[in-house]
This record gives sequence, structure tokens and C-alpha cells, in this order.
Amino acid sequence: MNIQFTQEQLALRDELRAYFKDLMTPELQAECERDMGEGGGPLWREALRRMGKDGWIGVGWPSEWGGRGMTPLEQFIFIEEVMRVGYPFPFLTTESVGPMIAEFANDTLKQEIVPKILAGECLISIGYSEPGAGTDLANLKTSAVRDGDEWVINGQKMWTSLAHFCDYTWLAVRTDPDAPKKHKGITMFLVPNSDPGFSYTPVHTLGGVRTNATYYDNIRVSDDMRVGELNGGWRLVTSQLNRERLSLINFGPVSQLFNQLAIWARNTELPSGGKLIDQHWVQHNLARCRATIECMKLIVYKQSWAMTEGTLDMADASAAKVYGSEAFVEVFRLLGEIVGQAGLYRSGSSHVTAEAAKLERLYRTASIITFGGGANEIQRDIISAAGLWMPRASR
Amino acid sequence: MEFGFSEEQVEVQGLARQILTDQVSVDKLAAFDEYANERFDKALWQQLLAAGLPGVAVGEEYGGMGLGFTELTLLVEEVGRTIAPVPVIAHCVSAMLPIQKFAPQAVCEALLPRAARGEILLTAALTEPLNETAGSPVLTTAEAAGDGFVVSGCKFAVPFAAAAHRVLLAVAVGDDVAVVLVDPQSPGVSLEAIQATTFEPQYQLTLDRVNVPAADVVAATGGEAIMAWAELRTAAAVCAHQLGAADAAMRLAASYTSERKQFGVPVATFQAVGHRVADCYIDVECLRLTTYQAVSLLDADVPATTELHIAKIWAGDCGHRVSYATQHVHGGTGIDRDYPLWRYCLWLRYNEMVLGSSARHLAALGEQLAVGEGLFS
Repeated sequence: MNIQFTQEQLALRDELRAYFKDLMTPELQAECERDMGEGGGPLWREALRRMGKDGWIGVGWPSEWGGRGMTPLEQFIFIEEVMRVGYPFPFLTTESVGPMIAEFANDTLKQEIVPKILAGECLISIGYSEPGAGTDLANLKTSAVRDGDEWVINGQKMWTSLAHFCDYTWLAVRTDPDAPKKHKGITMFLVPNSDPGFSYTPVHTLGGVRTNATYYDNIRVSDDMRVGELNGGWRLVTSQLNRERLSLINFGPVSQLFNQLAIWARNTELPSGGKLIDQHWVQHNLARCRATIECMKLIVYKQSWAMTEGTLDMADASAAKVYGSEAFVEVFRLLGEIVGQAGLYRSGSSHVTAEAAKLERLYRTASIITFGGGANEIQRDIISAAGLWMPRASR
Repeated sequence: MEFGFSEEQVEVQGLARQILTDQVSVDKLAAFDEYANERFDKALWQQLLAAGLPGVAVGEEYGGMGLGFTELTLLVEEVGRTIAPVPVIAHCVSAMLPIQKFAPQAVCEALLPRAARGEILLTAALTEPLNETAGSPVLTTAEAAGDGFVVSGCKFAVPFAAAAHRVLLAVAVGDDVAVVLVDPQSPGVSLEAIQATTFEPQYQLTLDRVNVPAADVVAATGGEAIMAWAELRTAAAVCAHQLGAADAAMRLAASYTSERKQFGVPVATFQAVGHRVADCYIDVECLRLTTYQAVSLLDADVPATTELHIAKIWAGDCGHRVSYATQHVHGGTGIDRDYPLWRYCLWLRYNEMVLGSSARHLAALGEQLAVGEGLFS
């Protein structure tokens, strides 16, 4: 046991930190902020391709895919650093769907898609939820019907984030409507968002983040676009979600925000004299956040290490997701209290610092991952069942 | 970064777990309840000594295993898991470690081999009434007398002091601090038993012009840093003990609620129950990670004040929450003294409070941040 970065890992972190400082120009920063931390703009795309060309996106991928062959921990260091500078990195494509395609797609599709992902030239949205299938995901109705060598896909998905600028959707569909158990009739496809039968309407959320409802109208795809076994999609969904849950808990940006806030509180003079941070309640809030974020950091490092060892545990992935998502909510509240009323004003208002405006927005966005990526209630069910062998109620 | 255990660590953990789970039973623990007997299972201690475990972090030149602080805290975690009545933190962490690190060689040679074999017991006095900073004695002072000291004052809550051969403690000498070993049998020493919530034997130690010979001086000057070093490691060991205890209490709750039926089904199948235990799982994992991090840094002699504050905050919060959640999901059984949970609850509370509660460590961490220390790297 040695819970410290190695010299090589520290050197990698420093190299990446310098790299992203250079990459993240003020123009790119402004574009990312305009896009509400979602990306998709021209400078954002250019930067992603540059990361691909410089071999960073695949730092933890095997060399046969054009990766650098380092471990998931190095991959995590990369993600942490790119997110720290405020670049909305498409981690769902690279960290969760990409590895599934590399493992389960047929050779043709693998060779077509994986190198593009690592080059920063392919973006994938995720199509799971439907109007009638949220937490009970296996209840999904979007269907694929075999027609000769092709499949014909029809249906509707909800919360298909980023679909308006992605190249494909990683789509869960029903291929056996008569399966005795709902989750045994599901198959995964990669569907091109450029297909004329694909359409979307935007959904605007409390935090300003845009997502989509997506529609699939007689989309025909070849069997090559099927990923994994016919009617064996559920395993891919759960396996992808395990990876997604980890990627959602990135502490890079929140630790950066914490540092900025602590420094700001230390430098800010109160009109009545003394510094903001001299007040005990401010120190208390900062200490609470410091301890909370430290744990988030250790949880994700341990899981990245476990992925390297091949021992990633389902209960631990769910514990990371519950802890991390609820920690974000708490940390944004506690940090918001430190900036006080200034934390109630939108970015671009006069007399408001960038950190305060960021907290105004972050507080509005924080609920997304307590239910997104699998509701925390379901995660707690998984923890008590898979982590502690407790029986659970049949549903 | 390596979260796995080395072969030696797995071995120490396995050996400790085997002896402790074999030997500690509810009946044996019950013999010490309410101070019926001094809470020190000497037969068990002898078995741990026979396996060499109390000397795990003592150098081979003194008859120990020559391993590190990580291996020692793995032993402590197992002691916490079984709440075994043995003086492992007092003897092995608070006393032997600072002696080995800071005492003159003659003192080490005189004490460590005998202590590692268990022929003598050592302990440390880390607190005074209303003063919980081990390195800043206020009530205990000393005057130089030849190469030794004459010591007077008072220390609070000294574990196992009556059975100890020597008590390691700090004394103020003018503006400086010395670290000395006091023989509890010396003239001028009085011990008054106090009844700790856990039934651990503890004493208020009063010193009235007690002679400490040169052979019992660990450090005549610079004692503040030595005691801070010892306090950090003791606090990390308390976190490890808490980790073992909290994990065991959580697993009792998971088993009990899986068996106990109401409305015809196991109570674990009610989400409100399952989720409360799942929250314990997350709390315990957080305590595990923050504790192992602090231990790992201390073992590598890397500054770890921030990380220790964070671990102790989790030890406090996790201990309190796990204690109440596990009692609650057990219903009345959790507090019934015929069922094993209640003793764990005593230790979860003790470890929460000893060497600083969450509030105190949050305040200390906040003060660090206020002077620009402890930010994320």
C-alpha cells in the first residue's frame, strides 16, 4: 500500500497541466462557458482533435488501438487535468462507450470507430431512457426489427445529452418483445445521428444545460452496427453504466474551484476590517469541503487502480456514484455560502466575480447526477445487495 | 499509487485476524463489562506476543519484525474489528514507536526488546485535564536534576497505567518540553482509576516531585515535536481501530436485517433499511480510504497533518453515524446487552472523541487553510 502518486505519475500530471494551460486559450474558455460546459463549438472540436493527435485521449489505452498503453490511473490523471481547466471533455464517449465498443463490437465497427474516438473525431451520445423507462430502464420500448440483412429501428429516447452534435448514438433497443424477462430482450446498436430518420428536440434544464429528446423513425442499419450478442444488451448497459458512474465523479474541477475559493477568501478584505477567511464559519465550511472532496479523490483513485487490477467492484462503483453526486451538492452549497449573496448572480453581471457566478450556476446543475447515470436509490440497492449480501425486495 | 497490500501486509493482517477472531468471543468480552475485571485479556495478549505481532513495527535489532507503521495499523484495525481487550495502541503505537524513533540507544536497548516480547508493558500519557495537545504540557512541569528531572503535575486518562512499567509523557521545562518515562511505582506517583465508557482501564496520573533518572529521559529538549509525532500516529491508529469497529458493526446490521423478518419478509428488503446500511457502507469506505492514506503517508515519513485531520473527521462522523444507524436497524436488539452490538457502540463513541472530535479537527483544518496550507496539489 502506498497512497501517493509515483514520480512518473507526478511528472505526467505536471506535463498535462502545462499542456492544458497552453491549450485552453481565453477564446476557447469563452466558447466553453457560452456552451454551458457542454462543448461542441468549433474551437472545442479543434482542441479535441489536437489532444487526439498528441496522443492524450488514449493515454491509458492499449497500443494496438493507438493508445499509450498506460493504466486506467494515468487515464484518470488525464481526465482530471483536462476537466480542471474547464474543458468539457466528452468522457462518456472516451471513457465509457468507447471501451465497450473496443471490447464488444465486431471487427469492422471496431476498426472504424475506436481509432476515431482516440483521434478526437468521433462523439457518441447515449440513448437509454425513454418517456416510460427511466429507473426501470429494462422497460424500454424503442424497437429494432430484422429485415433481411438490416435492422429497422423505431422509437423515442429521453435525456439524450449532446446528441445535437454527436456522430452516433449508443442505443438500447428491444429486439425480443416476448422475452420472459424484460432485460433479456434488449440489444445494443450504434446508430448514426446523420440518418434522415434521426431527429431531436431540445430540452432545457434548470442548470442551463441543454439535453434532448431524440426520435428514431424507420432508421435502417446493417447488422454490423449491432454491438454484442443479440438480446444480450443488458450486460453491456450495466457494464457501461459502471464505467459512466466513475467518470461522472471527476474531482478535478471541484478541487480547482475549492482552491480558487480558499485563496479568494484569504485575499478578500472585509469592509469592517480583516479577511473573509478570518471568520470561523468560513474556515469551517472550507474545512468541511476539503475533507469531503479529499474522499471523492481517494474513491476515484482507488477505483482507477482497481480497474488496472481488474477488480472493479459493482458495489464500490455505486458507492462512488452516490457519494460523489451527493458530495457535489453539499460542496456547492457550502462554497456558495462563503461567497454569500454574490453567489446569486448570473455570469456576466457587473460586480460579481467569476467564482461567485460559477457557484450560482453549479448549484443549479448539481442535482443531475444524483438521478442521472442510475438513480441513487438504485445505487444504494446495489450497495446493500452486492456489497453486503442483503436481500432485496422483488420488483 | 498502490491501494493493494504487500505479501507481508496480507500475512500480518491474516495472522492478526485469525488469532483475534478465534480468541475473542462474546463470553470473554462479557467478563470485562462494568469493570468486573480489568479489561486486559492477558492470555490473548500472550498469543499475540507469541506470534510476534505487538513487535511488528519494532526493529529486528530489538527483537521485532522490523516492518512499518502500515503493518502495525493493520493489526490495530483487526483489534478494532473484534474490540479485543489488549493494550495495542498504548503499548505499540503511543509508547514503543516514539521511543524507537527518538530515545537514546541505551533507552531503546533497555526497553524495546522486553517490550516487544511483552515482558514489560509501556504506555503514554497524551492529555492533561482540558489540554489535549500532547506536545504542549501545561500542568506537568519539571526541573533538571543532574542528567534527570524532578517532575510534578497531572495527566488525564492514561490507559493501562497501573500495569505499565513506564509511562511516556511530556513535561514543560521552562520554555522547552522534555519527554520522559515515568515509573508508576516511583515515590510521588499516584494513580486514580477513572471509569472510561469502554471499560478500558484508565487512570488520572498525579506526579509530586517524582525523580526521573537520566536512564529514563527520551529527550531533554525539543519534546514538542516528538509528542506531536506520537500524537499523529496514535490518532491514525485510533482511526484504524474505528475502521475495524465500524466495519464489524455494519456487518452485524447487514446480517441481522437479512435474517430478521417483519410483515413476513426480511427487514433488509425494505429500502429505508437497506439504504441506511448502504450509507454505512459508504461511510466505512470513506473512513478506510482516508485512514489508509494518512497511514501510508506517515509510514513514508511524509508530512500528513492535513490528511490526518481529514481521517479523524471521518472517524468521528462515520463512527457516530454507523453507531446510530446500526442500533436503529437492529431495533431493541441493538441495545440489548445479550447481543454483541452495544460494546461496538461504546468504542465507536470513544474513538470519535479521543484525540479530537470532528469539530476540533475541522477547526484545525480550517486554520491551516486560513494560512494558505492544505490546498489541493
